Amino acid sequence: MLASRRLTSVPFASLIRRNSTAGSPPPPEGHLPGVANSQLLRLTKEKALRTPGIVWNDDESNAIVNIGRECRKMNVYQAVRDALSIELTKNDNAVVFGEDIAFGGVFRCTMGLSEEFGRERVFNTPLTEQGIAGFAIGMATMGHTAIAEIQFADYIFPAFDQLVNEAAKIRYRSGGQFNVGGLTIRTPTMSVGHGGLYHSQSPEGFFMGAAGLKVCPYYICSTLPTRRLGLIFMEPKILYRSAIEQVPIDDFTLPLGRAETLVAGADLTLLTWGTPIYHCETALHLLADPPPELAPHVPEGVRKAKVELIDLRSILPWDAEAVAESVARTGRLVIVHEAGMTAGVGAEIAAEVQKRCFFAPRGASEAGNGLGHTERIAICLFPLHPAAFNHLLAAHFVSTVGWVLGG
Amino acid sequence: MLRKFPTPRLHCLGPQRRAVHLGHLPNSRSPLVPTLSFFNSVTGSDEKIPTFRVLDGVGKPVEGAQVPEIDEAFARKLYENMQLLPTLDTVLYNVQRQGKISFHMTSHGEEATIIGAAAALEMDDEVLGQYREMGVLLWRGFGIDSVMAQCFGNQDDTSGKGRQMPVHFGSPKHHFHTISSPLATQIPQAAGVGYALRRSPDRRSRSIAACFFGEGAASEGDFHAGLLLASTIPSPTLFIARNNGFAISTPSTEQYYGDGIASRGPGYGIDTVRVDGNDILAVLAAVREARRRTLEQGRAVLIEAMSYRVGHHSTSDDSFAYRQRSEVEDRKRVDNPIVRFRLYMESRGWWDAAAEEELKARLKADVMKAFKRAESLPRCELGELFTDVYAGEEPWNITEQRKELTQLLKKYGQVWEPWRTELGKFKNGGEGSDAVGCLNR
Repeated sequence: MLASRRLTSVPFASLIRRNSTAGSPPPPEGHLPGVANSQLLRLTKEKALRTPGIVWNDDESNAIVNIGRECRKMNVYQAVRDALSIELTKNDNAVVFGEDIAFGGVFRCTMGLSEEFGRERVFNTPLTEQGIAGFAIGMATMGHTAIAEIQFADYIFPAFDQLVNEAAKIRYRSGGQFNVGGLTIRTPTMSVGHGGLYHSQSPEGFFMGAAGLKVCPYYICSTLPTRRLGLIFMEPKILYRSAIEQVPIDDFTLPLGRAETLVAGADLTLLTWGTPIYHCETALHLLADPPPELAPHVPEGVRKAKVELIDLRSILPWDAEAVAESVARTGRLVIVHEAGMTAGVGAEIAAEVQKRCFFAPRGASEAGNGLGHTERIAICLFPLHPAAFNHLLAAHFVSTVGWVLGG
Repeated sequence: MLRKFPTPRLHCLGPQRRAVHLGHLPNSRSPLVPTLSFFNSVTGSDEKIPTFRVLDGVGKPVEGAQVPEIDEAFARKLYENMQLLPTLDTVLYNVQRQGKISFHMTSHGEEATIIGAAAALEMDDEVLGQYREMGVLLWRGFGIDSVMAQCFGNQDDTSGKGRQMPVHFGSPKHHFHTISSPLATQIPQAAGVGYALRRSPDRRSRSIAACFFGEGAASEGDFHAGLLLASTIPSPTLFIARNNGFAISTPSTEQYYGDGIASRGPGYGIDTVRVDGNDILAVLAAVREARRRTLEQGRAVLIEAMSYRVGHHSTSDDSFAYRQRSEVEDRKRVDNPIVRFRLYMESRGWWDAAAEEELKARLKADVMKAFKRAESLPRCELGELFTDVYAGEEPWNITEQRKELTQLLKKYGQVWEPWRTELGKFKNGGEGSDAVGCLNR
């Protein structure tokens, strides 16, 4: 089970007008302009407590009761810190470690934890990602809860062997005698303001084939999925400060492997995860109401399209059932992700959806005329650099969506 | 005294270094000196790191050596376990040659290192091996039947349900973490295991993690990561390098340029010793003392046990392609770890030809009995192919693959002879599990 909180989005018009005109410099990791205006944020206590799939961990008989629960306004790094604090408080076997963890972490996710829980439980490691992963695996095989941070997802590759050959396979190779259910790897991922080549990557696709791992590519968690999993938890770093929501203060989890429909629609399924959720929201505004420069490229019919926006929420396992159900209705799918397209997560999803939906009956919305199939699938690559989310790239999105819609 | 040489420390670099002292830099305790002087030794001299030995080649205590205290019963147990290794190895090697198992790795030449180390550890010290440490499990009572079951991958294979190659043993009951083929991955894991022990109230100050690896594996990044973490964080982890001279075909002279693996210990600031790995009493004494230090300091300790891999790397290897048969024969004759200890036992009056004959006959009979039993048992249920990937609810992609195999077997399983034969090797003829239980429906 995973606990989480979704992040943000951007009305595009406000983005272009407000972009980079603020008086104060952005935080070191950058921020996503206009994220605060997203309609997808859960800004009220009621919305936060109604997050689909939420389960409270405090009392089983009370697991789905929301009455009397409180929320607090948090950004992503505060929510991560809150989740770590809950786990450290409830579980004496839990430890949190990684590079620069003790002083609070370079993204502030562990701020104050070493003072609160002591350096034996919250500690720095030397600079060795393969070592951090191996150390965490060793602790987890002993039944301990090891929550390790890899400082940037770009630097997770030295740990690839430990994660793919060891963590993923320990339960299987030992006939179930050993496991690393208590292992969680947290790592900041995706694009960032000034991240350039090696602080912007989205490596979730490399782990998608590692049966035995669970890969969750984003979300704020208010409690970490530390029980009986071997999890890689990827946190979109640009949202650490940008995204501010109401987060329940109680210990809760959200289901892994379940997608969430953010906007219902009937004409096209738009599937994404992580930071691009908010790019997609922006792009949908743009599609419906294009600025003059783009208007000639956006046919009237396309502007009226009802697009279903789905947040995949989990890469491995991923919610094929929900995605296929949507595509069977809309007949069209656009997948948006930041990582490279070749042999990426989008390619895998496209193949599976094609398999499941090739002969699927077309939904009623599109004339409801019986047999149909997935007409078009496209994977749309969003820019690594959010500041480059300009007219050109928006146009790319619009033209992709337009093509899939047949416009 | 177990160690006849000073602890190698970088500050023991010669008198000239200490002659002029200009204080220290703010972030270092290194003395500032006006002399430009390079160093390339951890012993403070041109001498190589020495090797600790108790018994000479014919089993006599060397002058000045303190023989570790053992009684006759303990000595017999050491010897029996040493002898069990080649007995098992010979049978398993031949069984592989007959095509009955897929693979084997012998311990020939390293019996003293493995059994000596196993005997010096507590039974519940957590052991993370590389792959040539079957002797540790034998010492702990894993049993010949369990060894055979794993090597045959039959339904009694508790190590891994037939999923791994032979010799990939594992047993939580015997505190032996399941072997994995990738080299050196166990080394940083051992640091984490040690830390977990330190954090467990019932095992703190009582148990250590002991990690075995070869001198070839010590070239992997994971070696450096593991020793770095276990020394810095720190964690009570004992690292035992088995330097047997070869990594498959590559001799240790082409594996590293420095003074073996032991020279690296002081680089991590940890107590280190090199020991004659063919001398079981030296190994016993060194590992006992190393274990004591590991617990006392709560920090990594490194042992380098020097031996010679008499056997081929594995059954997939023919070592006479890269070393002379005569070299191996010479080494076996001149320095056989089993013979060396037998001579010592005889000198104590604890062993004789009759005991030797009885032991060999008994071990061989036990091994053959276990072999015949293992050979007759079927494999695990075929459905186990898909279990233990995740705990809890099975994800849809695995469920789909189970169903697909079930459909394939339903269609072809009984009509296509090669499949029919193969299915017959599984428990319940390939049926009886959720995965393929609908074969004949």
